Amino acid sequence: MSCDKCGRDAVYHAAYSGAHLCEDHLRASVEKRVRRRVREDGLLPDDATSDDPERWVIGLSGGKDSVALTAILDDTFAEDPRVEMVALSIHEGIEGYRDESLSASEELTEELGVRHETVSYADELGVEMDDVVESDPENMAACAYCGVFRRDLLETYADEFGADKLLTGHNLDDEAQTALMNVLEGDVAQTAKHFDASLGPFDERNESESFVPRAKPLRDVPEKEVALYCRFRGLPAHITECPHASEAYRGEIQQLLLKLEENHPGTRHSIMSGYEEFAAIAADRYRGDERAELSECERCGSTTARDVCRKCRLVESIEAV
Amino acid sequence: MDVVAEVVGEDTHSLSLADGATYADLCRAVGYSPHEVTVLVGETPVPEDRPVDAERVRVLRLIKGG
Repeated sequence: MSCDKCGRDAVYHAAYSGAHLCEDHLRASVEKRVRRRVREDGLLPDDATSDDPERWVIGLSGGKDSVALTAILDDTFAEDPRVEMVALSIHEGIEGYRDESLSASEELTEELGVRHETVSYADELGVEMDDVVESDPENMAACAYCGVFRRDLLETYADEFGADKLLTGHNLDDEAQTALMNVLEGDVAQTAKHFDASLGPFDERNESESFVPRAKPLRDVPEKEVALYCRFRGLPAHITECPHASEAYRGEIQQLLLKLEENHPGTRHSIMSGYEEFAAIAADRYRGDERAELSECERCGSTTARDVCRKCRLVESIEAV
Repeated sequence: MDVVAEVVGEDTHSLSLADGATYADLCRAVGYSPHEVTVLVGETPVPEDRPVDAERVRVLRLIKGG
């Protein structure tokens, strides 16, 4: 089977579009979709200049998604004086796993010449995930603690490094899973927040002053294509499962979506297309309901709807064991 | 046709596939969705809808936790 574009041997069949692509044209296609998303979401505002550049902090785990995102953004914007990029890695205290992916992050950023910063749960919060899973004071999945801590540190340090935007490597599969979970949980308020926090084009969002705006430029690209992209480009991506991975519900949704995608190619794209429209309507409906109640956590200063933020309450609970 | 499929880092399977079976069918036969793995013939990934035409392949898992 040959590539639709050039006739060379195809290495991939995109069932959702019918396309057969060779290595080079799969790479080009992934890059094109990321650049289009950057443009359509309005990531680079018209008023960015070389004197007053836009600063993007990129969450870089060293996994395939964030590695591909960092490499493509560097290709596109390294020479553009209107953009500054900082890669931010978080060490959760997972021995072996995160050490290896941090090596991948360091290798990539050295090769590209991108500024790279690393912060750890141990230094910032006084906890390590390997210990948290042992004590588990709240009887929760490891990812439930880790997600709260990671989001807090990404937000805090994106702000510290002067980010105009925080970019993460969520791919199409990640976003379709989140969309389906929000729908199945009946959580329209969460869907509304999703639109304003990271999903909507910047000119359609109701941005909060309290948070660094987020965006996901890889969210049109299926996970398999991201992985093949890294392989074809020889990028130093670390592909191993986290030893504490335990998001049971997300795993169930992932398997459901993979099955649906096999039987009905294009399901992930159509979920996102409908969900984005629905989320925009929900955001419009819910605006003004909760924004006014946000304040600073009395312990750490993070933005929260309560007196003490979720991260500080979890850390307290872990320390009490 | 008979194919030996090694899932990289896991088990090796001896499969008897129906005539005309594709590499997507091969993925399913070793327990994976074609959206989470790629099949390598030699070192090269092959399109999922291509009929199986190799006697020995490797199946590489591409999707794991970030």
